[in-house]
Amino acid sequence: MKLKVLTLLACLAGSMGSALAAEGELSIGTEGAYPPWSMSDANGNVTGFDADVGALLCTKLAVTCHFVVQAFDGLIPALKAKRFDVIISGMSITADRKKEINFSVGYAELANMFVAAKGSDLAAITDVDTLLKSLDGKKVGVQAGTTHAHFLEKRAPNADLKTYDTLDQMQIDLASGRIDTAFADQSALQDFLDKPDGKNFQLVGVEIKSTFDPTLGEGIGVGIAQDNTELKAKIDKALCELIADGSVGKASQKWFKTDISRPCK
Amino acid sequence: MEFGLWQVWEAGWVTAILRGASITILVGLASMAAGLVIGIVCGLIKWARIFPLSLLVDAYTSLVRGVPELLIIYLLFFSSVEFVTKVVTAFGYAGVAESGYAFVIAVIAIGAISGAYSTEVVRGALGAIPDGHIEAARALGLSGARIFRRIVAPQMLRIAVPGINNVWQTTIKDTALVSVVGLQELMRISFIGANSTRHPFIFYLIAAVVYLAITLVSQGGFDGIERLLRLRTRKTV
Amino acid sequence: MIDLIQLAVPVLLKGLWVTAALTFISVLIGFNLGLGLALMRLSSSWLLSGFAKYYSTVFRGTPLLVQIFLFYYGLGQLSLIKDNAALWWVISDGSRCAVLALALNTAAYTSEIMRGGLMSVPAGLIEAAQACGMSRVLRFRRIEFPLAIRQALPAYGNELILVVKGTSLASTITVLEITGYAKRLMSQTFAIFEIFAIAGILYLVINLVLIAVIRSIERFLMRMRRDPAMGRAPRARTNP
Repeated sequence: MKLKVLTLLACLAGSMGSALAAEGELSIGTEGAYPPWSMSDANGNVTGFDADVGALLCTKLAVTCHFVVQAFDGLIPALKAKRFDVIISGMSITADRKKEINFSVGYAELANMFVAAKGSDLAAITDVDTLLKSLDGKKVGVQAGTTHAHFLEKRAPNADLKTYDTLDQMQIDLASGRIDTAFADQSALQDFLDKPDGKNFQLVGVEIKSTFDPTLGEGIGVGIAQDNTELKAKIDKALCELIADGSVGKASQKWFKTDISRPCK
Repeated sequence: MEFGLWQVWEAGWVTAILRGASITILVGLASMAAGLVIGIVCGLIKWARIFPLSLLVDAYTSLVRGVPELLIIYLLFFSSVEFVTKVVTAFGYAGVAESGYAFVIAVIAIGAISGAYSTEVVRGALGAIPDGHIEAARALGLSGARIFRRIVAPQMLRIAVPGINNVWQTTIKDTALVSVVGLQELMRISFIGANSTRHPFIFYLIAAVVYLAITLVSQGGFDGIERLLRLRTRKTV
Repeated sequence: MIDLIQLAVPVLLKGLWVTAALTFISVLIGFNLGLGLALMRLSSSWLLSGFAKYYSTVFRGTPLLVQIFLFYYGLGQLSLIKDNAALWWVISDGSRCAVLALALNTAAYTSEIMRGGLMSVPAGLIEAAQACGMSRVLRFRRIEFPLAIRQALPAYGNELILVVKGTSLASTITVLEITGYAKRLMSQTFAIFEIFAIAGILYLVINLVLIAVIRSIERFLMRMRRDPAMGRAPRARTNP
């Protein structure tokens, strides 16, 4: 009963609004703890690949950017609550998420990989089926709410899954030996391997592309509220131009040392 | 490399932690205020057994006291926060919604929790007032409002102080839970510090010490209030 | 809606057993530890009573979440712990670490509750037992403990519910109990209210069972009393 009143009130309040929450400003929700996509420093400034993509997008749309940092799990609820206009946070486009929000065209795509201790049995595996089978009973770290988590829940149901709110926590547990392996995108794992903590670890030589399983999504896209078709059209157009003229690729070179931009169809 | 207190100080974490502590105290105070308002209203409803409302209050207190705080915070975080933002925005405080968003959820969540416990404290205190006092006041022909103001409220407040102290101690500790939804309070700052410096031990130890200082100081404050109230009772007797 | 229930209920039931196991083991350890601390607190040695007092102040004065993080992430960082096989066995696993934190935490609250119970045992009864020539251990087992637990049981029941709720924090250190699964389901299905309702009902059921158990123990302990108010402990007042 009470709930219904709340929902009603929320709907009433929600019906007021335009393409952008505030004219001339694009507010962007991002995780701020997912290097090198999105990091925030002690003063709350956001840097990383997604910060650059956001900045490029804002320049193209001739608006000012405003970043809002929010835990990954809460990004979609917050977008639906109109707390910000878009999500740019290395978020994969998936069927489940599409039920909740809209996505722009994909702007990037990365291989998903496992990391394991150097010289371990896992590290020597070279094909995906053996790899997934050998996860049985192993402690596998993964970030909560990500496509990686959903993929493992589906493809490795007998693995002992440990979910973390942030990658930092996962890296701490990986380094201390609490988990046997971790699954994430290649860039996030490379970030770990480059740290002193990661010196005894290596990537498992199996790249799992999103074409392997639809739960891994269709590339990384910008999340937009479902009712905001006007904004989606603008962002799709701007993104395609930015990908075509190589701006996204350049930003990618800066953060990933390689071009991960996804050609726009 | 040894990482010690000096490095924590040098990297500017001390100011960050103090800022976090002040937000913790602010959230604690605001939630406690909200909780007390809820507690007094619901406590009166429960005490006076106002029929349909008392059922709702019963449902509220047993739900909140029986379900983990963390689950309640996740509920608010993932869902009805939409409602919070929209209400705040509808009232024209869009700026507040932006900066104070996490703060508002925190106060609503912790306030609802502390309200449920306060309700029980207030009801208990009201129940402890001798019926004779109220009957006597009625016999003297005092109005209902006057009875409440002069007889019920002062006694209730005095009896409720130790209970309120308990609720406050729990409330201030519960604020740590809202760190999971990203409010930059003491626990969150320690969490960020622990993760980014890779030295969790020292950061969580500092957090523990700061929480302990807050609870000990407020315990001292409540002891003072109780002593004061006891002195006054003794004088009037 | 029915799909959702079919999806969520079995998952959350899996979590229910973890929650129950966490509660049971923590309470088992915490109760004995708390009883020991209460005895230390009441002992005449200032060292023992001082330790028990500070222990209780520290664990009751800091949030359980901080304690859990300090044990899991903080102690996990120290090489001292990592090099010791037994300690690392406890700290390396989220659920064992959660049990450790919960047990130490509830021990502090239990010690306060049991101290109150032990203090309410009338001095005359203890003197009488002494006069009968009972040894200290026998006296504690036959006289002090049964009377104290009777007095402390209602408050201890509340503490048990707090432990059940406390187990939810284990989800922050990768343990999948009810809240952990609920959070995972929330971020997967976005059916926030429904998941919350099912998880909430599970917790309420655990609490109701606990309350029923405590009530029946209370009734059992009170069986020889011809008190018209069954099940309610008569307050033994030691000081006027």
